[in-house]
Amino acid sequence: MLKAHVVKRRREFTVDVTLTLERAERLALFGPSAAGKSTVLSCIAGFETPDGGEIVLDGQVLFPPPAPLYRRPLAYLTQKDLLFPHLTVGQNVCFGLNGRSPGLSGASADELARWIAELKEKLKLEPIWNVPARAVSGGQARRVALARMLARRPPVLLLDEPFASLDKNLTLELVETLLEWHRTLAFALIAADHRSDVLKLLCPKVAAIERGRIVQLGRWEELKNFPATPVLARLLS
Amino acid sequence: MGLLLARAVSFCRAVTTRPLVARLLMALFVAALLYPLTGLAMPVGPWRWDHEMGASTLAAVKVSLGLTTLALLIVIALGTPAAYYLARLSGLERAVFEGAIIVSVLMPPLALGLLLSLSFGPTSPLGAYLLRLGVATSNSPTSFVLTQVYVAMGYYVIAARAAFAAVPRELEMVAGLLGQRPLAVFARVTFPLARLGLAAAASIAWVRALGEFGAVIVTSYYPAGIPVRIWIDLQQAGLPAVMPLLLVFLVSALPLPWLIHMLAHRDGALDA
Repeated sequence: MLKAHVVKRRREFTVDVTLTLERAERLALFGPSAAGKSTVLSCIAGFETPDGGEIVLDGQVLFPPPAPLYRRPLAYLTQKDLLFPHLTVGQNVCFGLNGRSPGLSGASADELARWIAELKEKLKLEPIWNVPARAVSGGQARRVALARMLARRPPVLLLDEPFASLDKNLTLELVETLLEWHRTLAFALIAADHRSDVLKLLCPKVAAIERGRIVQLGRWEELKNFPATPVLARLLS
Repeated sequence: MGLLLARAVSFCRAVTTRPLVARLLMALFVAALLYPLTGLAMPVGPWRWDHEMGASTLAAVKVSLGLTTLALLIVIALGTPAAYYLARLSGLERAVFEGAIIVSVLMPPLALGLLLSLSFGPTSPLGAYLLRLGVATSNSPTSFVLTQVYVAMGYYVIAARAAFAAVPRELEMVAGLLGQRPLAVFARVTFPLARLGLAAAASIAWVRALGEFGAVIVTSYYPAGIPVRIWIDLQQAGLPAVMPLLLVFLVSALPLPWLIHMLAHRDGALDA
């Protein structure tokens, strides 16, 4: 279970958000641009250090003090793909695979190979597997980033605008693939976006955020029928 | 083949579209910059290369290449972590440290030589102490290497810092979240991406150290490296005697660093 209370001062306002996530739960972090969605994810992931609060994942304290990145059993898909440009697609996907991968401890070489083959096939990486990462297109880079993040089978995924800049078809396809893996791997997931259509497909529950605060928490239809703020009402209409 | 043709076409197009006058002036500028190289072909009389001179020349080459290699290794070993630390800094701390390093870069060589003699020489407390331990800090291999390290370090750190700064911090953080400890992140992500820039930094340090004359002649007249040897020969025997050593000097200083720089530029490693 993830319990995150993140306090982070920003120029215009202070982000102060508490989120709890059960195993295999999927939560949308929904709100207008610059509401603090990325700050929350980035603080949980450890890319930024919060100014206060507490983050605990399955009994392991991630903050405070900030746990080093390599000890955080979670995956973070940033808005940018951030592939390692000097490595091939395959090397990118397998970058974090070792005995310490959270969901792969005790996996045999055979199981590992099957898992990689599955990633490769479902995300259609076969044709570009040996291509340098700096040479792949935007849509392909997204698949590679997704595969690299999932390869270690982390118990928690943090997705920051996971499908921005992708077309509708590819988005639907990737959402479908993610949900399929969610059924077998049972990871918990937080997805942040300012577009509700994608988030609705991915997450049954939503936390709405405005100027650094959670203004409403519930199921999508509750928010749509009884939006807590005018901004939310406009975003969901 | 098609690619080659396309490149040739685009090159020709660039040649014809850019203003001819500007290109001519640029060519003239570069020619003037390289003009001194024609000095190698000047009629200074037959190059002298007698037995005695050959021996001292060889000794100078050995001193220069051997001790400069040692100095370069020290510069890389100490300068790389410093450059990496500096690349991840911002604000006041960065300004303070960079300001200090720039001082060492801006120091006039002769002044540096004098200061090194005063601060490390046998008349200084540190120099006297080292001498008691059996380490001579003037006119010795130690002083030669020490001087070169001081001369080259600032240049190396500034260039290496730029190479590290060009590696996005987020890439290192992604590697960290993928379970890699800091040393592994450095070895698998930071270093491979900064490699060419680091090589360029090392080549600058090499050229600076190998070519240093002003500071070295004050602290280490002996053992004479190539620059000091050239100076001595020039005083004692004139131009014909220094021509062979001049050639060796150029060959040991220029081609490899030049190649590294060209590669680094092509890769864009120095553009950041």
